[in-house]
Amino acid sequence: MSSVQKQAIFRDVPGIVPKRPNLGQKIWKSRADYLYVAPAIVAMIVVIAYPIYYTIELSFFNTPASLSLADKQFNGIDNYVTILTSPVFWKVTWQTIVWTVLSTLFAFLLGLGAALALHREFVGRALLRGLLLIPWVISAVAASYVWKWLYHSDFGAIGAALVQLGITDRPINFIDNSTSALYSLIVVNVWKEFSFAMIMLMAGLQTVPDSLLRAAQVDGANPWQRFWHVTFPHLSGVSTVTILLLVVQNFNSFIIPFIMTGGGPVGSTQIWITHIYELAFLRQRWGVGAAYAVLLFIIMMTLGYFYVRALTRGDESRAGA
Amino acid sequence: MTSEITTAAEPIRVARRRSIDGWRWAGRIFLTLLVGFTIMPMFWMVITSLKTGFAAMQYPPQWWPAAPTLDNYWRLLDPNGSVGRDFLRYFWNSMFVSVATTVLAVVVAVPAAYAFSRFRFPGRNFLFFAILLRNMFPAVVFLVPLFILMRVLGLVNTHGSLILTYLTFGLPLAIWLLKGFYDNIPIQLEQAARIDGATRFQAFFHIVMPLSIPGIIATSIYSFIGAWNEYIYAYTFLTRHDQMTLPVGIQRFFSENATDWPGLMAATFLMSVPVVVLFLVLQKYFVRALTEGAVKH
Repeated sequence: MSSVQKQAIFRDVPGIVPKRPNLGQKIWKSRADYLYVAPAIVAMIVVIAYPIYYTIELSFFNTPASLSLADKQFNGIDNYVTILTSPVFWKVTWQTIVWTVLSTLFAFLLGLGAALALHREFVGRALLRGLLLIPWVISAVAASYVWKWLYHSDFGAIGAALVQLGITDRPINFIDNSTSALYSLIVVNVWKEFSFAMIMLMAGLQTVPDSLLRAAQVDGANPWQRFWHVTFPHLSGVSTVTILLLVVQNFNSFIIPFIMTGGGPVGSTQIWITHIYELAFLRQRWGVGAAYAVLLFIIMMTLGYFYVRALTRGDESRAGA
Repeated sequence: MTSEITTAAEPIRVARRRSIDGWRWAGRIFLTLLVGFTIMPMFWMVITSLKTGFAAMQYPPQWWPAAPTLDNYWRLLDPNGSVGRDFLRYFWNSMFVSVATTVLAVVVAVPAAYAFSRFRFPGRNFLFFAILLRNMFPAVVFLVPLFILMRVLGLVNTHGSLILTYLTFGLPLAIWLLKGFYDNIPIQLEQAARIDGATRFQAFFHIVMPLSIPGIIATSIYSFIGAWNEYIYAYTFLTRHDQMTLPVGIQRFFSENATDWPGLMAATFLMSVPVVVLFLVLQKYFVRALTEGAVKH
């Protein structure tokens, strides 16, 4: 910023031609700056760039089950053809979409409701906020076991409670049954992550100017109109980031289906990541697993593009302010 | 101001007050239901952990344990019993890995976030967003290549493999949160220190660092919780059971005692205690960091 100002000043002075340093000079001049970011960058390259390269390579080869890399054979796009022509691919993709969309939608709505309800000051507000955040903080493995016990087909608390309340005759078989398993897991997932949306939106609500809300009130807007015309537009930036992060997180879910059902019964809770895990680690089909991962990279990079755009929009407006 | 309002406006005000009360009540009911939904599983975890194996396997269930017992906890915490020995080892393994990850994450993230906030070097934006993109990739797709990498580095079956991996997990959000903090610290403070003769590093270390302590606390909580709860890499990288961390250890425990639900619930309770306590004590820093760093646009 300051260099831009300097150039602008120099341009007005006759006789001095502003010299734009080339990229090499710029990099050399700020070499000390790179020292600060070097450890982070090195760690990221080792643990991210290398695996990405490796996965792309593996996706074009047929690698033996022993994962002996010397014996791998190039097979072009065979792995990708295998995936896209398999009926399992479409089933798993559909289940992934159901899982991602419903989890994101309900986590966001519950989070928004909680954020609005907790926005006003009242006694015990911090305590309630802390309580609601506990599911987000505890381990997904612990949460999965607790819910597995709640859903237990013989001794589960939820099934028994529904019978005692007279809602069903017999305990419902929540997760050992291919029609309800996926939805039962979505409930667990929403329970685990709605408070992430809540805390992001609570932070966002603090940026809504009180004066605007009061002005709207004076003008006779009812609470719904105030929410829709004043609060919600101010939340759009945070909401975009929150929804994108939830979509990414849900698309990449693994622990809840893996621990609770292992993808079953009859594959009804298999989503992309658990399917990739099964292909690679249980069936040793490394090439097909890697090709799946590459397809996933492409989807994630597309989402990542929007994520970065949503973030930079905020960055620019902050720089402009 | 109120006195200036004419009587003609009165009915409108009353109606408005009533509709606000309606919304407020809707909010309260919603919040009550949500709190019920949130604590119901935790409540049942604690209740079950206080039962004997026999009492837990009853239908209809004992909603309140008829003969509450702490036996399940004593068994897990007894350093001389076989179950307790394993459980306590998993606990300390988790503690070591999480603390080491947290310390390293802060050491690496603080200078990087500061540089991204203050310096304008070529490639700054590209590098910043490249780091943020790490969050977009699921752990599972990196398992095979990282396993091979750890084999090359000789880190398989060591806690080092987990610490290195968790470090890069935590870094993106850590750098992002801290950068937001540094963006809000006025640059004039450092300039004043520089004029008084401090080097750039001194200005950073003595002026900026102390002001960013809340951000560092928030970053630490995040790294610690992430490392404490991680499962997939710990499951893949560690095969020796004396190295295992809690999530994997609990799974191993359960696969050997598939019907010991009270014992399992006690174990999940003990496993949740450190992160929940840490989080509840320090939550204001975490919330503030998200507010200032992430959302203040």
